[in-house]
Amino acid sequence: MQLRDFFTLEAINLDLAAETKDEALKELVGLLGLDEKSRGILFKMLKRRENLGSTGIGRRIAIPHCRSLVVNRLRVAFGRKISGIDFDAIDKKSVQHIFLIVAPPLEVSNQYLPVLGRIAQFGKEPDVPERLTQIETPEEFIALLEDKGV
Amino acid sequence: MHPQLELLLELQDMHAQRQALRDEPLRKVEEEVFDLRPVEALELLDAKIEELTERLDPTVQRRYVDLSETLDRAVAPVLNGICYGCFVATPTAWSSEAGRNDRITVCAHCGRFLYYVD
Repeated sequence: MQLRDFFTLEAINLDLAAETKDEALKELVGLLGLDEKSRGILFKMLKRRENLGSTGIGRRIAIPHCRSLVVNRLRVAFGRKISGIDFDAIDKKSVQHIFLIVAPPLEVSNQYLPVLGRIAQFGKEPDVPERLTQIETPEEFIALLEDKGV
Repeated sequence: MHPQLELLLELQDMHAQRQALRDEPLRKVEEEVFDLRPVEALELLDAKIEELTERLDPTVQRRYVDLSETLDRAVAPVLNGICYGCFVATPTAWSSEAGRNDRITVCAHCGRFLYYVD
């Protein structure tokens, strides 16, 4: 399993318009191409998860995630905001790089945990935050995943 | 989408979140990577689940509570005409119907509430 297999170019936004955490979550959910009702339900679920504790893991990275019936397979998206967004992260620093992970409750291949783990592992690589800041195209994002072998 | 179905979906997703916090490997990730405190998180989730359950119409609520007590989940997605609660086919007409999530439907086989996933 490779992370690059889960990312589509359409689900990568290197210049988020969002200024707040809520706006960022909505913008990322918008990258998944769901209908309006599903987007609303998914946003609520992500908010509920954030209310339990921030998914900002530090080093300018956040990984909002949840399971939801509104998706029929594991979906991921990536968004970047160079100027940063307050995400109430563990290290209290603003977040620049946001990985969204959503999976259905019933998942035959059970990819949710491995994908979550791999993205967390990727985010902890020393050079990753800086390299994520430098990429200029969605294709370069995919290339970075490949380069890191995740 | 029927407002009661929307509530049911929210409830089901929260149960999934609850389950995730009880599932050992995932709970470990939540604790170690996200610094989440599972006991407190479960208490918050339970309170929200109770609050949302009370907002269900009495008839829907009765069925929801009964199903939750006897089955692993009260709401099942329908994919390609199959109820993913019991894996039995639902009536073809239901799956192809426009606005199929605008009403409350239940599986004739397992009794779960159905949500049609596009």
